[in-house]
Amino acid sequence: MRITVTRSGGFAGIVRNATLDTRQQSDAAELTDLARTALEEGRGAPGPVVPDGFFYEVEIDGEMLQWADPHLTAAQSALVKKVLGEGSPGGAP
Amino acid sequence: MTLCHFAGMDAHSKRTGQTRRVHAVFCPIVPPHVLDHLSRSGDPVLYEPARRTLEHDALQRTRRRITTVRMTAGPAAPGEAPEAEKKPRRTISDAEHREQLPGTKVRSEGEDPVDDASVNRAYAGLGATFELFLKAFSRFSIDGAGMPLDATVHYGEKYGNAFWDGERMVFGDGDGEVFRDFTLPVDVIGHELTHGVTQHTVNLAYFGQSGALNESVSDVFGSLIKQYGLGQSADQADWLIGDGLFTDRVEGVALRSMKAPGTAYDDDVLGKDPQPATMEDYVHTGSDNGGVHINSGIPNHAFYRLATGLGGNAWERAGRIWYDALTSGDLAPDADFAAFAGATVSAAASRFGEGGPEREAVVKSWSAVGVSPAEQAPA
Repeated sequence: MRITVTRSGGFAGIVRNATLDTRQQSDAAELTDLARTALEEGRGAPGPVVPDGFFYEVEIDGEMLQWADPHLTAAQSALVKKVLGEGSPGGAP
Repeated sequence: MTLCHFAGMDAHSKRTGQTRRVHAVFCPIVPPHVLDHLSRSGDPVLYEPARRTLEHDALQRTRRRITTVRMTAGPAAPGEAPEAEKKPRRTISDAEHREQLPGTKVRSEGEDPVDDASVNRAYAGLGATFELFLKAFSRFSIDGAGMPLDATVHYGEKYGNAFWDGERMVFGDGDGEVFRDFTLPVDVIGHELTHGVTQHTVNLAYFGQSGALNESVSDVFGSLIKQYGLGQSADQADWLIGDGLFTDRVEGVALRSMKAPGTAYDDDVLGKDPQPATMEDYVHTGSDNGGVHINSGIPNHAFYRLATGLGGNAWERAGRIWYDALTSGDLAPDADFAAFAGATVSAAASRFGEGGPEREAVVKSWSAVGVSPAEQAPA
């Protein structure tokens, strides 16, 4: 499973982007489960934009999703943190 | 409209000096940062469709989910408390590193400082913001009617951001790599609370030029809160936003510079401060709600020009003019730079006289950043 996260907005307005391939992760099964949960919970419209809030564009195996702070579920929040923290920068298709 | 089209074209990078054949796909599936890259190309064939797509997509997104908290605009209700009785009502809560709001209440108005420096800084920053708006502009709290001031600290785990959620200010501790604790700079606290003031006045839509104005107004009053607290005149102020927020690892002095937009940082990891100072360099992008944190550099710099041009304490005349424009009732939520500039010209004329140096200085400061103030429509 390939996951790309682009985070924009925020007080600083600095864009961050990273991609993670679960097949290259030691916790692949756990991460795939987390991504599936995040996906199930995150297919609807993002909540209302708040000033300086982070905005996330997430691609999970080709499916595009949009999430906005502070409306992320625990799974969504854990997933974006994991991908931005451990993924490789960039990763645009 | 056509949602997707493919175009083969030569992309020339000014930075690398290389030309290569690319196939650009202008479709919502293309990541915004790729479109962003194309939109900054020197070639109109490349940047025009990319800009259109970006701006269209972002506008649609914003329309769907824009904050709709529209409150009553205008001055406070009559029959209010006398000035001396106007006190802040602050409550600080602790999210204890979770992403749940509001968290546990840890310090309320009048209570002694606690052992947690973030809590005390937030409490003091709310007080400094309340003080400036009351003393300089006779505004009683965020809504002009004594609204309680609420903040949550320690939001999330290593959370590198602060935001205004429509009701309260929320601060993360910073990731420790790029950002320190967001309660550190008082102008950041002032910036967030000023989003509340904007929400309760013009309610500038958080997209494109109106969004960049929303951001700029927060930077302007955030900086004024810092200047007022330090007793600095316009020429003594550093005009930086977020000074002290970066860790030592980052090559940069602050997040933004109102004095010299685009020069606040230049770092291997973060890249270079992307803020323009003039309309000539306006950044067309769909990211960041149409570049609200980028193009705010333009009105920010206009304010800096006005404040330093007039001299003295920036909150007394320049700040007053900006505040009057914000509360005039003449601006629509989708106001662009020209409309806002027009409102500041009218505000300067109303408060300081049609032929006064203030009005002329306002016109000059907007002209310096390439904005022609719109004529004010008769009320």
